[in-house]
Amino acid sequence: MLMKLTMANIKSHLRDYIVLLTGLVMSSAIFYMFANLATNEALIKSDLNFKFASVVFIFGLILLAIITLVYVMYANQFLLNMRQHDYGLFMMLGAKKSRVSQLLVLETMVIGLGATVIGIIIGILATGGLSGWLLGNLGLTIHHFNPVYPKAILVTLALFLALFFIAAMLNLQRMIKTPVLKLLKQADTVDRVNFKPVRLVVQAILGIGLLAVGYWAMDSITTLQLLSVPIAIVTITIGSYLIFRAVILLILNLIKKTNWATKGLNDFTISQIMFRVRDYTKILTITSLLFAMALGAITVGAGFRRDIPLIANNTSAYTLAINDPDATQTKQLKQLTDANQITYQQKFADNKVYYLQSELQKNPFKEAIPSNKPQAKAHYRNVSVDKLTQNQQYEFAMLSGKKQTLKAQFLSTGEFSPIKAPVQRVILVKVKSIPANYQVLNKLNKSQNSKHPSAMPEITFGSFNTYLLSISIFGGLEFVGYFLGIAFLAMLASCLMFKILAGATQDQIRYRMLAKIGTRRSLLKRSIDSEILVLFALPGALGIVDVLFGLKLFKPLMADPYNHIGWIIAGFGVIYLGYYLLTIWLYQMLVLPAKNKH
Amino acid sequence: MTNTPIINVTDLHKTYGKKGEKQYEALKGINFKMESGEFVGIMGASGSGKTTLLNMLATLDKPTSGTVEINGQDVTKLNGNKISDFRAHQIGFIFQDFNLLETLTAYENIALPLSLQGVNRKEIGTAVAQIAQTLSIEDLLDKYPAELSGGQKQRVAAARGIIAKPALLFGDEPTGALDSNSARELLELLKRINYEQLISILLVTHDPFSASYCDRILFIKDGVIGQEIKRDGRSRTEFYQEILEQLGTFEQ
Repeated sequence: MLMKLTMANIKSHLRDYIVLLTGLVMSSAIFYMFANLATNEALIKSDLNFKFASVVFIFGLILLAIITLVYVMYANQFLLNMRQHDYGLFMMLGAKKSRVSQLLVLETMVIGLGATVIGIIIGILATGGLSGWLLGNLGLTIHHFNPVYPKAILVTLALFLALFFIAAMLNLQRMIKTPVLKLLKQADTVDRVNFKPVRLVVQAILGIGLLAVGYWAMDSITTLQLLSVPIAIVTITIGSYLIFRAVILLILNLIKKTNWATKGLNDFTISQIMFRVRDYTKILTITSLLFAMALGAITVGAGFRRDIPLIANNTSAYTLAINDPDATQTKQLKQLTDANQITYQQKFADNKVYYLQSELQKNPFKEAIPSNKPQAKAHYRNVSVDKLTQNQQYEFAMLSGKKQTLKAQFLSTGEFSPIKAPVQRVILVKVKSIPANYQVLNKLNKSQNSKHPSAMPEITFGSFNTYLLSISIFGGLEFVGYFLGIAFLAMLASCLMFKILAGATQDQIRYRMLAKIGTRRSLLKRSIDSEILVLFALPGALGIVDVLFGLKLFKPLMADPYNHIGWIIAGFGVIYLGYYLLTIWLYQMLVLPAKNKH
Repeated sequence: MTNTPIINVTDLHKTYGKKGEKQYEALKGINFKMESGEFVGIMGASGSGKTTLLNMLATLDKPTSGTVEINGQDVTKLNGNKISDFRAHQIGFIFQDFNLLETLTAYENIALPLSLQGVNRKEIGTAVAQIAQTLSIEDLLDKYPAELSGGQKQRVAAARGIIAKPALLFGDEPTGALDSNSARELLELLKRINYEQLISILLVTHDPFSASYCDRILFIKDGVIGQEIKRDGRSRTEFYQEILEQLGTFEQ
């Protein structure tokens, strides 16, 4: 009988259950994706050449666990609210409290286990799909990475079951304390906003102060070293929480006193936000942190992506060189975009390589000017023929395409022609963008390497070689940046959307009532738009500020973490805007009264 | 005072359920008029169609056939924004469950209809103060609905219902959730509003005590108006007795 009632309840609240389950599945899936990277020591040690990597990942895991905790607690409160009427009914019909308690714990654990298992499966699929797509797009190979990673599965399962067990116990305590009658009567009273200005001002100052300390800590990464990460996590989390709790309320209260507030539905909208913000403090804090983490991770990923070609360009004035191109190579050379080519004629005799002096005068050989900033814009200079003759330019020596080092000599046409040896050619190629020509360059590099292996295995002439080497070093970091950025972005959206949609039932009554007293539909829509806009914009804005300071952490690692930040924020904003539009669309569908039918 | 009736309902039908499915006819041809300034009650048992009728009158639902004219305007032809504006300017509501917005204070709740009409802050302040005095709720203005008793909430709701000076006020079982003292106070108040502010009131109720405050009562049963009684200057107690007798015979 109790089972039957439970099923009936699930059926009648299907939409709420779907929202609840989707949220939980998303959060466990994303936790798994992160855990897959974080618990993979082999990956962190060998693929991420970054000495703080494992520490950073552990902090990340702790932060994500805290976020998940809040999320699970919130979801369970939502679950209890849905179920408490039934529990009250069971007790009224004579079910013992112990029986109902068993039912509550069982239901919570079943939902928790179900959501976690589905979440892990989706996490595995998403990890596989996302990593495959990213690796393909970034032209990377990562060893020691596998979408199915047993250790991550165990960690995720253990954490979520523990969290659900704690949540079940808390729910149980709450239910046992509540009298049956109260369980039966839906608690839909709203507490008054306790507007105590002095307390709010103190909280606001404390919040801004803590945030400032956090930003200072990230700015001082060079002096504080690793300590700056935990300091920043603690102060920024608490600071953001206090800001959402106090500062926003103070500002809204000021707006409420203006003339603007009495126009149309403005007063109602502000009051809605005031009630919401208090109720949403935790979720807004989490959202701002997730926003910052996602944006930060993608910025860092993009930063490494941008740095690699720069580093490469600083090592050589040319991308690669091909000795005596065959038909295929000639064809491939033509496929390169924005490419400059120089051809030098060569003759080999008596362990020497001869060049035409006139060709080198016309197109002097260039080398990169050494710089102590490997990620800065590269500058090149001509190398004198004298220097080349003395074989002091190691790069030029590689142009012979032979394993042994040959002495280079520069001759006039009159001296060059009589030498009894076939004329050979070497083509020096410079492309504007290595990533744009990656596929063709890779083929050319491979064929050149097999036909004319150099003295050192896998080392060839030009910056493309450096590019390949750098990718194997920084590629892991780049991959992690993009991977986590996308995962956090997904979690962020699910968090905020879930919370907002969960409040729809209560709002439905309010909007229907407003329609009854003669509020135009367009006005209701505008009120919803602006209310949800504020809820989206607040954490977004704080998240951006967090990132602007947070990027200081990467100063020691990359040339300019702030390069292109405007574009990245804009791109991020577009996706975030998409979530916002989706949320208001769903929300209006849920809360607005149906249009009058004929 | 014009001669146009405030409400003029002709041959109103409402059928629920789609064609081909099981249909249920809630209203089977209702005809009645209500003069401006009247205080009319509609009585009937549960399921008699009185709530359906109120929804049609208040533009909350559309009839299957027939017309509803309010203040000379056929409201069944209105759509979208016109319906909203009509509700905002012409009619006020008091509901059984108050329907106050719990995120707003009493003051803000009362001011809402005026805000919607774009009245400026100062005028709103004056209007709210005036109405609060009439309804003796000056002390409650800063409170949230959760801090008010049922009777207080209903008085706030009444203030919101009449602040925009509607031509017509609808009451849907407004005393349903009140204790007898609060109910009596509210009805006295409605009577005074009707008398002093010249607002026509249509009350839907199944409570004979509430009905005894009206000038005229229409009894509705199974979707048609069966009986009509008028107070005609009698005392409220006498009228109350007649209502009870009527109910006794009418519901048989």
